[in-house]
Amino acid sequence: MVEPLQLQAAAWALTTTLELALFVQLVRRKLGRTYPLFFAYLLAVILQSIAVALLYRDANLDKMTVWKMAWGTQGMAVIMRSLALVELSRKVLSRYVGIWGLASRVLLCVAAVVLGYDLALSKGQWQWLILNGVRGLELAMAAVIVTILIFARYYRIPVSQLQRALAVGLCLYSSFYVINYSLLEKIVQEYAVLWNFLGIIAFIASLLVWIGAASRYAESEETVPLPAMSPELHGELSSELNTRLYLLNRQLIQLLRLKDRVQ
Amino acid sequence: MSLPILLLILFAFLLVGLLAWALRTPERPVKPAVDVFEALSRTRHCSRISHVMQALQPQDTEYLRETGQLELMQTLRRQRRRIALNYLDQLQSEFEELLEISRVLAVMSPQVTGMQEMNRWKLGLSFSTNCAVLRWKLRLRLQPFSSFTLLSKMATGIARQLEMATTRIAEAAVRGSEPFPPGNRNIGGP
Repeated sequence: MVEPLQLQAAAWALTTTLELALFVQLVRRKLGRTYPLFFAYLLAVILQSIAVALLYRDANLDKMTVWKMAWGTQGMAVIMRSLALVELSRKVLSRYVGIWGLASRVLLCVAAVVLGYDLALSKGQWQWLILNGVRGLELAMAAVIVTILIFARYYRIPVSQLQRALAVGLCLYSSFYVINYSLLEKIVQEYAVLWNFLGIIAFIASLLVWIGAASRYAESEETVPLPAMSPELHGELSSELNTRLYLLNRQLIQLLRLKDRVQ
Repeated sequence: MSLPILLLILFAFLLVGLLAWALRTPERPVKPAVDVFEALSRTRHCSRISHVMQALQPQDTEYLRETGQLELMQTLRRQRRRIALNYLDQLQSEFEELLEISRVLAVMSPQVTGMQEMNRWKLGLSFSTNCAVLRWKLRLRLQPFSSFTLLSKMATGIARQLEMATTRIAEAAVRGSEPFPPGNRNIGGP
């Protein structure tokens, strides 16, 4: 039977291989220039894998130091992922100036509320503050991604296959991280190895989604935005539309009230 | 496990569900920008409400009851219920089209007001709920025929208001679609 630690080591090796494969795909498709922050995030993750492998090999370091350094690299990876997410949201929404103005405020609010809620759970203890901070960032990122996609769906903003794949990969990993960490923290500390392994599996799934999208990427995927409109015209049309919507709604409410009255 | 942690986990699961929902293909195809102005100038179903309401006058059925043609009266009531349901479908479809247009306009606009968008979203939600309630009431035969007389009077006024609104929108669209100097891509820009 395969030992859990051996399985974890194999998963780590597979993760690094897939990270390198994604790196090659991004370079081949020249996506490093289109998505520089995502590319930087991938580089950070590759460096993190190397750093963590070297740290665990060094027998002279004490466990606490290794733990702190490993979490330091994790913090760096999370920050880079946040930057990649900012880049993704700009790519999807910033061409639509009005929507971007509204969405950026909403996204900031969503991220701040989620992060604030998670940090409040630390109750001022610094060791939990860092760990919960990472979890809060992950959850905030997942919430932001979902909000971007909901915005895109509501306003029928085209999202390319690659952008979708990036969003799905980032969101799935972040959500799984939160579930994994929250359960690990409170219930299943004794199954830490298994949960770490499941975390790696979630990341492998994200990597596969990204590799698939990067290998299918074509420059024609980039969408052309609709022409812009003056604020005055939009204001006028928008208020007229709202009037019409209110009138229709009133018509319906009257129908409902009439029915109730007769009953 | 404490409640706040449980809420976090549930929220993460909810996000995964919302992600799957947000990635679904939209039921209606995306409307090109040019179609928006065409759609705004089109005749609306709700402008025909007075005709629909006229056909649903309760006196008609009362008259049949008095003359003993009960079967015919029931047939007519069934048909009227069907007409009312059909009208409701048209009303909802029109409302959804207007919502769709407003979204396209928001996408094209350089400035979008959050409160206006929020109000529109709430209105859309309220309309869909009301529509569903009314549809079920009609299906459950809770429909009062006499109430449509009042509605007919009300509808005439609303149709007139809608016509005025359509005219104003058309005027605004015409002002906004005047030709611009080369290189200026803004619709209605200064």
